[in-house]
Amino acid sequence: MAHTSRNSTLPGGVPKLSRSAVYKKRALYKRKKVATVPAVKEVALTKTKTVAGEKNGGTRTVPVQKSPRFYPTEDCKTPLKNRRVVKPTKLRGSIVPGSVVILLAGSHRGKRVVVLKQLPSGLLLVTGPYKINGVPLRRVDQTYVIATSTKVELPALPAIGDEIFKRKGKPTKNEKEMFVDNAGDNSYKISAEKVALQKEIDALVVPAVKKVDMLQSYLRSRFTLTKGQFPHEMKF
Amino acid sequence: MLYKRYIEIGRVCFIRLGDDIGKSGVIVDLVDQKHLLIDGPDGIGRKVLRLNQVALTDIKINIPRGCKTKTVRTAMAKEGVEAKLAATSLVKKFAAKNAKAQLGDFARFKNRVAKTASNRKIRSTVRKLKKSS
Repeated sequence: MAHTSRNSTLPGGVPKLSRSAVYKKRALYKRKKVATVPAVKEVALTKTKTVAGEKNGGTRTVPVQKSPRFYPTEDCKTPLKNRRVVKPTKLRGSIVPGSVVILLAGSHRGKRVVVLKQLPSGLLLVTGPYKINGVPLRRVDQTYVIATSTKVELPALPAIGDEIFKRKGKPTKNEKEMFVDNAGDNSYKISAEKVALQKEIDALVVPAVKKVDMLQSYLRSRFTLTKGQFPHEMKF
Repeated sequence: MLYKRYIEIGRVCFIRLGDDIGKSGVIVDLVDQKHLLIDGPDGIGRKVLRLNQVALTDIKINIPRGCKTKTVRTAMAKEGVEAKLAATSLVKKFAAKNAKAQLGDFARFKNRVAKTASNRKIRSTVRKLKKSS
């Protein structure tokens, strides 16, 4: 029958009763479990192989598992297994899908944009909307953002992941060519898929923005600090 | 008379600095040249404050020097100090300043837009009047 611990701890982390005292208390002399030892399977370590050639003795005993060809000179400790599970970045409580946020860095710094959601990579998916202030579907880290208390009621949006933001890598060397052809125009061109997706998202978000009085002109304007304004004293 | 508001027993003060900023109390006693013993309703209680932490109001009540908190509170209730305080410019200005600080970014934007619009109207009206005169 299950019981709380028959032992207790004294101050200092010292157990009150000794091992033998606990053994007596638990009446383990009555409850010894004898484990049945499983029979050891006989596994062959060597096997005999027939060898070709007249002068080679016909058969040879060969180990079943060959010893490794190379092994380190010293026995070193192996590192412990890493059981780390990667969790998505914890999002600030003030940032919610639909909240208006001020971008602090990058070419769009100072612009007020709408947060659509948090991507699996932990970054925020953000859009101007593009029609309103020219900020496209973009990924942004929450540390480069000021969250305002304004929230937009967003309708159900199509699922978007980190995949559409993956850029094509630089052309790598072929086996036959000596030099990599970087002469061509390798500047980033927006894919047609992205443009279509932007239009689709804008068509959903812009009407939600227009519902709120003056919100559209708010998103068009940039955030600036004037004399006497200190961000640590301001409420957003 | 140059001064109308004196530091005296019973003078109602508005606390402008420190932990109790925005609250009001009554001068119950003077500690030294720079310190007052102030008492008030539940929010403040009885404490010593520096003179510069405090701004004097027009309101004065009748209380004996060093009287108990209970006496102060009943005297304040009898004179209707709370209602008189709400009418003072000190309290009104503090409330307005506080409200402005609590505004969010969107509210600040809307205020700014409204201000520029009204300023434009005012300026155009003034210009019209100048022209006509």
